Amino acid sequence: MEAPRTRARTAPDTADQPAVELRRVHKRFGKVHAVRDVSLSIRENEFFSLLGPSGCGKTTVLRMISGFETPTEGELYLEGRLANTIPPYRRDTNLIFQHLALFPHLDVYDNIAFGLRLRRLGRDEIRRKVLEILDLVHLGGYESRRIHQLSGGQKQRVAIARALVNQPAVLLLDEPLGALDLRLRVQMQVELKEIQHRVGTTFVYVTHDQTEALTMSDRIAVMRDGMVEQLGTGRDVYERPRTRFVAMFLGDSNLLIGQVEAREESRTIVRAAGHVLIAPAEETATPGTAVYLCVRPERLRLVGPDDAPLPASYENRIRAQVRDVTFKGAFIEYRLATPSDDTLIAQAHADGTRVIERGGSVVVAWRAPDGVVLTE
Amino acid sequence: MTVAAASRPARGARGQTLVLAGLLGPAVAFIVALLLTALGVLFINSVYHFTGTQVQPRITLEAYRRFFTDSFYANVVWQEVRLAVVTTALCLAIGYPTAYAITKIRTPGWVIAAYIVIFSPLLTSSIVRAYGWLVILARGGLVNWVLADLHLIGAPVRLIYNFTGVTIALVHVLLPFTVFPILAVLLRMDPTLREAASDLGATRLHTFLRVTWPLSFPGLYAAAQLTFVLAMNAYVTPQLLGGGRIQVLPLLIYGNISDLNWPLAAVEAIALIGLVWAITLSSNLLFRRRLAATTEHE
Repeated sequence: MEAPRTRARTAPDTADQPAVELRRVHKRFGKVHAVRDVSLSIRENEFFSLLGPSGCGKTTVLRMISGFETPTEGELYLEGRLANTIPPYRRDTNLIFQHLALFPHLDVYDNIAFGLRLRRLGRDEIRRKVLEILDLVHLGGYESRRIHQLSGGQKQRVAIARALVNQPAVLLLDEPLGALDLRLRVQMQVELKEIQHRVGTTFVYVTHDQTEALTMSDRIAVMRDGMVEQLGTGRDVYERPRTRFVAMFLGDSNLLIGQVEAREESRTIVRAAGHVLIAPAEETATPGTAVYLCVRPERLRLVGPDDAPLPASYENRIRAQVRDVTFKGAFIEYRLATPSDDTLIAQAHADGTRVIERGGSVVVAWRAPDGVVLTE
Repeated sequence: MTVAAASRPARGARGQTLVLAGLLGPAVAFIVALLLTALGVLFINSVYHFTGTQVQPRITLEAYRRFFTDSFYANVVWQEVRLAVVTTALCLAIGYPTAYAITKIRTPGWVIAAYIVIFSPLLTSSIVRAYGWLVILARGGLVNWVLADLHLIGAPVRLIYNFTGVTIALVHVLLPFTVFPILAVLLRMDPTLREAASDLGATRLHTFLRVTWPLSFPGLYAAAQLTFVLAMNAYVTPQLLGGGRIQVLPLLIYGNISDLNWPLAAVEAIALIGLVWAITLSSNLLFRRRLAATTEHE
């Protein structure tokens, strides 16, 4: 695809310039402080997600990038240009709305051509671009359909096409897959990622669905109460959550309340659940600090009386009793109770070999690097 | 509870139809019976003979002949249609921006205030309202006084007992009926559609022309039709503000009934009904495609 609208107009050597940058941005709606001191730097061609529960300010951030809201404080840069007060119609961004906002009085072709016509492109050029983008979203031949004749997934594709056909520097997506059923949603996630690879545009994606964010994003900003709680790749935020909120919001977590016994060069010794447990080094974990020791359920191994012993690398071991067993398809989930009355969730691959019965006695074990110390 | 639950599956679609018929039946029967009876009586009267002092049950077409050959009636019809069209056009020109502005008011208190102002004409009796306009528009009335005081006019402008006066008062009465359907359709419109247009590069003007206007067209159309029909059937306003110089069919009908010339009154009534129906239906045909395009998604 050719160079987009205004990208050519900005400074020539902008290789390392972020596509979107927020510097200490605040947004207040009356007394509500919706966005608090958010600083973000979104790279060119990055698939960036804003993840958080409803009301965390993620949509407000997106609406500031698209121009529907103006920051109360701080600066917003689009490709190096201060953009705080540029109206939406003069920004090189396009937004895919949560409820799509397709024009009901126009057919598929006219919906997609809407932006191109406003830019006064020639009739033939518009036609070529619309047909090309329809192909890209696998809707060739649908140009004269009316919007109400389309299925949910097809409407989704039209919305994507209507935004992408303008070749925006940044494509903004506001939970666009929320209304679709699970199967279609998973399919569209894969397609969106594929489309992003093909068109090479910066995507900023807002979602409250952690699986969606993990599946598609290069980087994720986890938001809470108007602030960015943690920023990193999907693996970073999932495997090394920095706060209890992030650990709980992304997937299931076991959180054991404990106290730091000792801080060593490469590891932290924590007393929790009546045991001395070993965890990775954590700078802020000075002896005596109250902490949470977080371990993902899939990292826990269960050893029954008849099982072969685990390798020595499984340093942390706690006795527990199986309280509940749930078959979840690909895995089996065990709810366990320790003698110290802590509850642990463990997930084991349903590989068909064995299921530990309810009431059974087991040893729960995990490797030191699989835990995370949260000082918070 | 158990009885109702048990009877539900057995009732099915036919049962539902019966319930619907039971609920709607009396109202429909009442209206249809009245309407058909009234139209029947009207038709019978229209073919009776009028001696000059009384009606005789002798079949004749003389009332029709008089109505369709005497150019007086053609002029009345022409003036009435002109009055209704001008009134409707003015109502739309004032009503659309008003409805649009109301949707933009953020403070709930001001929205309520706007509603009260717009719907206030309906809270007054039409006779009081018409006399009010007479006071305001008369030779020595408020409008002429202000205009003269500002030296904008030398002699008083004639604003009553003519087309202008009737139009001004009719626009005032009918404005709520114009504003309401437009307001309803504008309020129902998904506000993110306007945002989407803006996001795609449309200025406020383009957003209005390409999204708001076409999507509000059904409301505008309904408003136009309603206003037109009400203007065609207006009686009190043309009567009082026309001062006998503005003749419309409802006035003629009343006059003929007073003179006991029921056949001619019946023919005039039939002509009025026919005219309104013909204009409404033909405009529906004319705008059929346009309306289908914007309403079928609902």
